[in-house]
Amino acid sequence: MKPPPFEYVVPDTLEEALEILAERRSEAKPLAGGQSLVPTMNFRLSEPGLLVDLRRIENLAGIRGTEDGGLEIGAMTLQADAERSPLVAERTPLLAEALPWVAHAQIRNRGTVGGSLAHADPAAELPAVALALGARVETCRAGGRSRWIDAETLWPGMFATAIEPEELLTRIRFPPAAPGSGFAFRELARRSGDFALVGVAAVVRLDEDGRCGMARITLLSVADRPLVANEGAKVLIGRIPTPAVIVEAARAVAARDVDPPSDIHASAAYRRHLCQTLTRRALTAAFDRGGDRPGHAGPRWRAGGW
Amino acid sequence: MRLEGEFTFHAPREAVWEALLDPAVIAQAIPGAERLDRVDEDRYEGTMKVGVGPVSGRYELRVRIEEKEPPERYSMRIDGKGALGHASGTAEVELADEDGGTRMTYVSDLAIGGRIAGVGQRMLDTVARSMTQRGLESLEREIERRTSGS
Repeated sequence: MKPPPFEYVVPDTLEEALEILAERRSEAKPLAGGQSLVPTMNFRLSEPGLLVDLRRIENLAGIRGTEDGGLEIGAMTLQADAERSPLVAERTPLLAEALPWVAHAQIRNRGTVGGSLAHADPAAELPAVALALGARVETCRAGGRSRWIDAETLWPGMFATAIEPEELLTRIRFPPAAPGSGFAFRELARRSGDFALVGVAAVVRLDEDGRCGMARITLLSVADRPLVANEGAKVLIGRIPTPAVIVEAARAVAARDVDPPSDIHASAAYRRHLCQTLTRRALTAAFDRGGDRPGHAGPRWRAGGW
Repeated sequence: MRLEGEFTFHAPREAVWEALLDPAVIAQAIPGAERLDRVDEDRYEGTMKVGVGPVSGRYELRVRIEEKEPPERYSMRIDGKGALGHASGTAEVELADEDGGTRMTYVSDLAIGGRIAGVGQRMLDTVARSMTQRGLESLEREIERRTSGS
């Protein structure tokens, strides 16, 4: 299929791109890696009058550590580059674990980290990860004005973001991991690279006494946006995360946090089942990796497995 | 696509019943509704614009009310079509008294076809549910506004 006619510009600078967006906000659409936008245009589901290709703008791609021990990723950083980055693996292991689940290798070679966050597909991995890690994104508009938006408020609905049409997402910042944190990402798709039926990201912190000090569970593909599972997290706080406690939390997620949709790929009941199973697996792995000692192999109670 | 649920209005059953069949009220409540006219005693026609992210389109809507039992229940025959696809099917609505309000139970079963069904399948259920929820909430506000204003 072919897209309807559209204009195309490739600005050299960020300021130039922002001015074009400000001038033609109603019809202009930024083009990052094009891995979602171009197919929707080819299906003629969307018909932007003007594509503003961001690929020539300098300094929009790149990965660097921040002084506080966190990580900053430029919006136009290729997903494949983030996937292979030792810095990402070291500072945001959850992101490193989730990236291979984003579509296929060929798509990650073109698709960008910022593009995925701005596209806001409820089945996408990166928004759920950004939400689990408490990331923030910077947006800029013409005239050198910029602001930071918390992942928590970035996605008001399906394919919707708090980013204004004349703004561009420029970089993403991940806060440093708290000592004793553990992370895990789990997903199920019918075939490798398909949209997730359900995906779960978990971030937990084990306190010195072995109790759960913090837990954050996010899910993808169960609502119109990435979802924070507060009920499941509540079950864990202040308790020693034994397999029974983890199952209790996973059940709370499936029973109280989600109300998943049905489609030809999976019924609501099956998705709910997956929410419980994948949450249990993600939490088990996350607690296993948590704790404060280097090379820590998980608390002793884990010896019995799950 | 099957859609079912419950919603509680904080208004007496008669008022809810009347609002549900008043095109002016419904046009206010349906997200993206541009026009809704009563063309006959039990037939309505209108247009609505539905936009989900980059995908948006205008749809023509025809609704016929059947098996009306005021103020208890009615069923609807729904047909919609637009640039990106079409939908047709039925919906059933039941009203019951509840403490200080009215409980509405609804079930709809729509066959969706066209491009939107092929490409957008995995989003249909979520979009339909969130539009229904938004629609019912704004209907509740509209009913409240009318009952308190008169």
